[in-house]
Amino acid sequence: MTEDYKSNTCNEIIFSSFFKKNIKALRNFLFYKFGNEEMAQDLAQEAFIKLWQNCASVPIEKAKSFVYTIANNSSINEIAHKKVVLKYEKNFNGIDQTNENPEYLLEEQQFQTKLLKAIENLNVKHRQAFLMHRIDGKKYSEIAQELGITVKAVEKRIHLALVTLRENIDL
Amino acid sequence: MKKNYLLAKWLNNELSAQELAEFEASPDFEKYQKIKKYSEHLEVGALDEDTMLATILQHKKETPKVISISKKWILRIAAIFILGIGLTFAMQNFIPQSQVANYAQKTSFYLPDDSQVVLNSGSKIEFKKWKWKSHRKLELDGEAYFKVAKGRRFEVITNLGKVTVLGTQFDVKARKNKFDVTCYEGRVKVNYKNSQIILTHGQSVTFENNKQINTTTTSLKPEWIDGIIAFKNENIQNILDELQRQYDITIQLKSNTSNSLFTGKLPSNNLEVATRIISTTYNLKARKINSTTIIFEEK
Repeated sequence: MTEDYKSNTCNEIIFSSFFKKNIKALRNFLFYKFGNEEMAQDLAQEAFIKLWQNCASVPIEKAKSFVYTIANNSSINEIAHKKVVLKYEKNFNGIDQTNENPEYLLEEQQFQTKLLKAIENLNVKHRQAFLMHRIDGKKYSEIAQELGITVKAVEKRIHLALVTLRENIDL
Repeated sequence: MKKNYLLAKWLNNELSAQELAEFEASPDFEKYQKIKKYSEHLEVGALDEDTMLATILQHKKETPKVISISKKWILRIAAIFILGIGLTFAMQNFIPQSQVANYAQKTSFYLPDDSQVVLNSGSKIEFKKWKWKSHRKLELDGEAYFKVAKGRRFEVITNLGKVTVLGTQFDVKARKNKFDVTCYEGRVKVNYKNSQIILTHGQSVTFENNKQINTTTTSLKPEWIDGIIAFKNENIQNILDELQRQYDITIQLKSNTSNSLFTGKLPSNNLEVATRIISTTYNLKARKINSTTIIFEEK
């Protein structure tokens, strides 16, 4: 069976480029869920190993849904959930350089810290969808496909994520 | 419903100009704007993609081997199983099946066509299951009683002669050089050396040293089935041999004068009575050495 179907996934160059294109998002996807960076990395690697081992039966067009399905199914119970600790990009301080009002600077910094805290406390599903959009820059349709839900459901999750974040920052 | 997800649409820059204007006017807009702005600059820890890719690509080489080895093993195990099943089938069908009744034991069993066989003590039967229905043939050493199911020719082969029947009840006894056949029902054809004789129910024939003796019986089945040993004009040595088989004991005869023939019945489940009958009939003394040895000697 594997002999007569020459899948392009088995081509090392095609496989490698697919890997580079998707590995980080997949790792992040798992990280948003569990908050455990090491685990997320191992599970993402595991998913790609399975793809490589089954390359003959998984054409490259289906490879993405294949790895996401494996990642979604990975034994969630065994994973130690941690807080999703994020940070801002190194050379970003997000603060308007022209405004040097100390009160303004302090407020902005406090807001940034509160936002991180609020994201940590988000519902897992809301956080996953929200961060896939914000950090990985994915379209709603992509997020829907990867999570196995409808676009409408993605919009709902992101909407609720925003509402919750705004409320928690106010506290 | 649609309104519920306005925030999602706004985050994705999908709002119409009017919707956006309304939202910008709302008191929470400023906060949402900040969330949008700051969350865009978040990041997750770095990832060493090249090392990971190398690790993944290495896994390829190991797997096919593992699969092929396990497949080979499965094939081997399957082959052993099939061979085993085949051998068992062959053993059961082509290799003769044997049924044995040891001394002091009787065995009753059914043949593949439901014919019933009762083996008397110290007897053995061999037959092949293969094509039994069309080739009903078995080899007998000793004595057995047959209740043959209706069907094709049924043959009992002994080293003394052959008995052929078509659905009947009969007894065959082939001991030493004495060949006894008794027919209880139906018709039986007996071959002994060059002679052939047909028995009907109640008839019996004995061949011994080329002598043929015809007798009749009124019994419906052999006496030994019910624990009685019946003898007709039997010499003492044959009687003692039969007792040895029935009781699984050793009997020695220390007398040369007992030549008369015995006709009568002995129990096969009461050694004491049997011993007494013999000693009275032949005027001998029975001496019990131990539980398995008896000596008959002159008084």
